[in-house]
Amino acid sequence: MIVEALAEFLTLGELGGVIVNGLAKSALYVMIASGLTLIFGLMGVLNFAHGSLTMVGAYLGGLLMVVTVTGGTAPLTRLGLFFVAIVVVFALLTMLGGAIETTIIRPLYDRPPIYQILLTFGLTLVIEEVVRIVLGVYGLQPLSDWQAALATKPQFLREPVALGPVSVGWMSLFQILLGTITVVGIWAFLTKTRYGLYIRAGSEDAEMASALGIDVRQVFTVVFALGIGLAGAAGTLLMWDPTWGASVPLAAETLLPAFIVVIVGGLGTFRGTVVAALVVGMADAVTTWWFQNVIEFTGLPELVLFLVLVVTLIVRPQGLFGVEEVGGH
Amino acid sequence: METGWPREYLRDHTAHILVIALLALYPPVYHTLLNSAVSAETQMLLPTVETMVGVLYFGLFAISFDFISGYTGYLSFGHAVFYGTGAYTVILIANGKLPLLGPGTPFMLSLLVGGLIAVVLAVLVGLVSFRLSGVYFAMITLGFAQVFYVFVRGWDYVATNPRDGPAVGPSHAEGFQIGVPGIDQLSLSIGVLTGDEVALLGSTLSGTEVSYYMIGLVVLACYFAMQRIIHSPFGRVMLAIRENEERAVAIGYNTYLYKLGAFAISGFFAAVAGGLFAGFKRSASPENSFYFLVTGDALLASIIGGFGTLAGSLYGHLFDETVREFLSKAGQGGGLLPYLRALLGQETLDATLVGETTIGGLIDLLLNGHASLYVGIVFVLFVLYVPDGLLGTLRARVGGTFAEALPAKVWGESDQ
Repeated sequence: MIVEALAEFLTLGELGGVIVNGLAKSALYVMIASGLTLIFGLMGVLNFAHGSLTMVGAYLGGLLMVVTVTGGTAPLTRLGLFFVAIVVVFALLTMLGGAIETTIIRPLYDRPPIYQILLTFGLTLVIEEVVRIVLGVYGLQPLSDWQAALATKPQFLREPVALGPVSVGWMSLFQILLGTITVVGIWAFLTKTRYGLYIRAGSEDAEMASALGIDVRQVFTVVFALGIGLAGAAGTLLMWDPTWGASVPLAAETLLPAFIVVIVGGLGTFRGTVVAALVVGMADAVTTWWFQNVIEFTGLPELVLFLVLVVTLIVRPQGLFGVEEVGGH
Repeated sequence: METGWPREYLRDHTAHILVIALLALYPPVYHTLLNSAVSAETQMLLPTVETMVGVLYFGLFAISFDFISGYTGYLSFGHAVFYGTGAYTVILIANGKLPLLGPGTPFMLSLLVGGLIAVVLAVLVGLVSFRLSGVYFAMITLGFAQVFYVFVRGWDYVATNPRDGPAVGPSHAEGFQIGVPGIDQLSLSIGVLTGDEVALLGSTLSGTEVSYYMIGLVVLACYFAMQRIIHSPFGRVMLAIRENEERAVAIGYNTYLYKLGAFAISGFFAAVAGGLFAGFKRSASPENSFYFLVTGDALLASIIGGFGTLAGSLYGHLFDETVREFLSKAGQGGGLLPYLRALLGQETLDATLVGETTIGGLIDLLLNGHASLYVGIVFVLFVLYVPDGLLGTLRARVGGTFAEALPAKVWGESDQ
């Protein structure tokens, strides 16, 4: 049975499908995790509220789409509105992130790093309940996906497309596109702009950077704000994906994979995060295929993520690309 | 002083005796207040006895979390796995699903078995995890715990519907007994419905109240065991690891073994706490035993109570539960919402504020089931402004542990 299944798995159609799925999942993971890794890499703050802010982004993005899209809106217009929504959500959450950093994270920099974990953990509780209250006012179910937001997705994104012998979903291609834009954008920002230089200098040695005249506090605020903005943008994308969807539990569902990706890649390296997202996404796609087609145990793909984490930390405790000193507390 | 040691001993434990007395008096005091003129206020402000049972066993879990995290500095973010192990062990034994142990196994033995399984688990997890430190340690323990969480949620041997978790079946219809196994006179059953009722001094203690005292006894024993370990040479090494691990190694301690030992001990007591929880509730689900947010609640309790203070975690959880019950309808103790409704009366409630919003609708919106919001705000305020927690701040105020300072205040300086 295993051999037959293996033969089927290795056919071009199946394997190609799994690879595209894996890339799509990787794209989602990299979007969820990139904000977290930026914040951790520079500031050493493990932001527990990241998942909640992704969830807020999903709802805000959904709100924008539901308000602007009507039944008769053309598919391409919907797509355009979606990009507008992502940009607006990114901007809004960037502002929110800046506000959070300056008001409650900043007083904690001279305390042991555990206090930042604790604070952002408390923040999660507050954000989730506020969202629940708001949802309660509008009569939405907090635990199930927001169907109205899902319905704003243009029809063609639900349909498969044939690439040679491989049948893949348009949605997967769309996600891969957005993931690539995010990665290239962050990479260009970090390596090609002056501000990116400040950020890299700050993560290397914050004291030295400030001695050289860089306002590290301001850099911290900007990075935290951008990280939160990225969380929001990721949320908006997840809002359209039926396996995630906008719901309150999305917070925990995205937080744990994001942590895994960041830790597996190594704390503080963006390259590591991208590679880890690929590894985790592929592992997820491959195991999903196997456990749907051969062995029936629905929880296993989820299990595999954590096994990747555990195995990585056993074999290479600092993560794939991690340097031991960065964030080493 | 040859003969004076019991006196000295009691003197040293003044603070403990005081706290135990207060906790022991809680059910009768609550009961009396409930039947007095301030009945409505009591119901609003104070947690019910049933909630207090939860405070006790979950407090024990929080204490065991603090034992490893607060004293060695290694944040055990997957601690819920031990709590879940204890809970599931008790239920599986009662349902006759664990080999060699039938449904008739005494509850005390089940607790012990759960604890020992947790010790084995802790050693296995610890062998790998203690090669790392800091955030990595927290994350790998979290990773292990989530592996177990997903596994238990999908394994249909433990329950017919593993996602909802197991419940104690008909093969064990009677309550779980705490006491000396085999001697009925020295054991009492626990549980809301299955607990024994005891006639005492002309009044009857309900099953919940009996559970409160019996579970309290186990929690107390566990607390003293952990407190003893903290004050032993072993505990001193744990503190040394927290303060400066490199130096502890340089002095010649094999810190790896000490950390592993501390982790195993902490896992044992976490499993006992989980067993008490399952014994009282008679069911468990992956969400309220193995899930990482369960560890989060223990973290909340430790921080509010005081990180690295052991007993503080219990007070922290008591505080947490009181706030939750006061500000949300979820607790059966009443809380603010029913009180306000009764106080304001229907006419005021129906009065409209803005548009179609009534006052009743508004307080309903803010107070119905959103306790986490207020707990979260309280928690954030604690992290920002009271970083040492309740007990930690108290200790800083009296300059030493409260248990040492109180006797000197009450009885004068020691004559030793």
